[in-house]
Amino acid sequence: MTISKEELDLAPAVREFGEDNNLDLSWLDTRGEWGVRAEPSKRGLTLGDIQLGSYGEPGDHSDNMTGRPRGARARNDAYRVGGYKIRSKADIWLSNAHVLYEESLQRQWSSATDVPWNTIKPLPDDIERAQCQLATFLTEVEFVAAEVPGRWLAATTPDYFEPRMFLISQVMDESRHLDVFRKRAFANGGGLMQRPNVTTSGTVGSIDLSNDFTEMSSRLHITGEGSVLTIFRMGELMAYNEAEKTIYRLAAQDEARHVAFGVMHLRYLAETEPERKEEIHCYLDEGEGALVAGNQNPASRDTAQSEALAILLGGGEKNFDEGYRKLMAVRKRQAREYVQRVRSAGFGERFENGRANQELLAYTR
Amino acid sequence: MTNKDNEPQDSARVRSRRRVNQRLRDAVSKETSGDLKDVEIPPKKLDWMKRTYQWGVKADVTDSGLTIGALNVGIYGEIPDRWDDQSRMPRGAYPMPGVPPIGYSISEKRDLWADNAADLYEEAIQRRWTPATDIPWEAIGPLPDDVEAAVCQLCTMLCQHANTEIETLGTWLHQMSYGYHEVKLFLATEMFDAARHFEVFRKRALSNGGGLGLELKGDVKRMIIESRGGWSETALLLYLLRGLFTFTIYRYGSILANNDAEKAIFEKSVQDKARHLSYGLEHLRYAITRQDDKDLVFNNLLGIGERLVARECKEPIVLEPLAVIFGGGVEGAQSGMRTAQRLMSDYVNLYLSSLRSIGIDRSDSLSNDLKSYLL
Repeated sequence: MTISKEELDLAPAVREFGEDNNLDLSWLDTRGEWGVRAEPSKRGLTLGDIQLGSYGEPGDHSDNMTGRPRGARARNDAYRVGGYKIRSKADIWLSNAHVLYEESLQRQWSSATDVPWNTIKPLPDDIERAQCQLATFLTEVEFVAAEVPGRWLAATTPDYFEPRMFLISQVMDESRHLDVFRKRAFANGGGLMQRPNVTTSGTVGSIDLSNDFTEMSSRLHITGEGSVLTIFRMGELMAYNEAEKTIYRLAAQDEARHVAFGVMHLRYLAETEPERKEEIHCYLDEGEGALVAGNQNPASRDTAQSEALAILLGGGEKNFDEGYRKLMAVRKRQAREYVQRVRSAGFGERFENGRANQELLAYTR
Repeated sequence: MTNKDNEPQDSARVRSRRRVNQRLRDAVSKETSGDLKDVEIPPKKLDWMKRTYQWGVKADVTDSGLTIGALNVGIYGEIPDRWDDQSRMPRGAYPMPGVPPIGYSISEKRDLWADNAADLYEEAIQRRWTPATDIPWEAIGPLPDDVEAAVCQLCTMLCQHANTEIETLGTWLHQMSYGYHEVKLFLATEMFDAARHFEVFRKRALSNGGGLGLELKGDVKRMIIESRGGWSETALLLYLLRGLFTFTIYRYGSILANNDAEKAIFEKSVQDKARHLSYGLEHLRYAITRQDDKDLVFNNLLGIGERLVARECKEPIVLEPLAVIFGGGVEGAQSGMRTAQRLMSDYVNLYLSSLRSIGIDRSDSLSNDLKSYLL
């Protein structure tokens, strides 16, 4: 919707006043849809409440290359400075991004003051080292989930600002996760330990290098964050004080939102562009491979972090075997939750037609 | 929460959490004594247990809680001038060989650092707010159509300012090395703030019988987005030229506001913006003091940038809506324009004084267009 100078319909008196006072005032009659009055709902004035008229749901494709807010009046002489690679709705949309964004605002927390750090007391050396090893791992991998979504913000047209806003809230959440696990490592006489050896590297098929948003989201939100979410939800079993319990509980809340974003986006894509399902299955194939064998999963076998988890779950190095059995219970839960998510996203056929990773499926039994 | 009314609710929540946790323990216990009883357990390696550069660290919890700045103790507080690691290895962690690089282009401390970033990060979190519930939207009442149109046009512009900030930070954040995580963390809060500003001004425009106005032509956005030489150069344009202008408009919020909702919007936004500028100025000062010709580079960029800012400010949609709001309507726009001129004068003075604070004096070289706003 663009307008030329000739189309202006300024009231003659206003035009005359403007001319007399060296004012243009043409903007008074050059605007988007007028007469919009959003009403606050019981959760305040939410993004959902302002989705009215032409300010509501965007079209399937966006030609907005200037960065104007959705519904604002376009002009013919604006610079096309937006390098927006994502201008197709199906590439990034989901039905409830605005709800998830508002929830993230309501549920922000402070790692400095909302965690009862004074409840951390000296722990046996093996337990403290295991906590610090896990914290070292998490302070690194959680920032993958902060850094990667950030790259897509400038590449997404502001016409699809709801998912974009949610991704910004995710950058914020994951920054806090980096921060809180670093804090845990230094809160009790420990320190940082061994960093994971390939977890966040730039290799093909990694979260980092995805060229397509849905590819990235399937890896980051569904497989990556999904597996971490299960760990956080099991925090009760590996926490030794209220501070650690609080950290896992709050981080799990955040992580659940991020996973929900990924599930809902995949669902939207499956419904609107079913011809892309086969391609998405390929990403899921790779993601499942990483879940089973890769170093991205804190509960995978034979890594520093899986040994640390076994020590934490067992209650010390001396109970390593018992801890390892619990770790396998965590993995089973991870696998079951993954299957549930993928089914919910509309890709459940892979579990019926033999396509899903069999080693992963074995964990679900 | 100590409120007595909340006690039963909290207790119920705690009880519910206990029940869930007990079920979790029972389920895991059942599995470990059942299916997993005979699971093959690999031999322990535990080689990681001694892999640390410094052990025995205990950060102090202060009145402000356990802050990110308080973690900078021992070797973990050593922030090198150059960070060569091309992966996400946390600063101070024990490195492992053979990790493929990700490719960070900003690895010099002088190119992004500000000593206040850690404190500003914690402050941003403490001062978080929510447009949906922290603004008294019900305080907005009907306004004359010309005033409403001016408010909506102003909101449209401020949405665009916030959008430029989001896209700019989104472009640069992932290029910054992980060794300087304090800055990355702070910039994440800034992006989150900018998202909230985008949101709150959109909400205001759509809440009182109005709508969005006309988009900006985009001179200043283009200058900032297309600045690719380095983060410091982009920061110069983002914070000093655009940021101070946005900040000055927010500061005039008490005069611009027609009701308590708008007053709250500007009061909260100006707090956020002050933090952004605080980082920006601190970083630019740091960059200048560590590079011989940085002030000259900045001077050259500012010479061009000032002309573009002035060009944008001459667009009717920039100052005229302010004048209409200040004047209480179109009929008062002429007197309102005098207030708008004062706002511009304050902006230019703040710009000059901010520049002086980082070691640049442009009082003699200020572009004539901007100089014309000085009262």
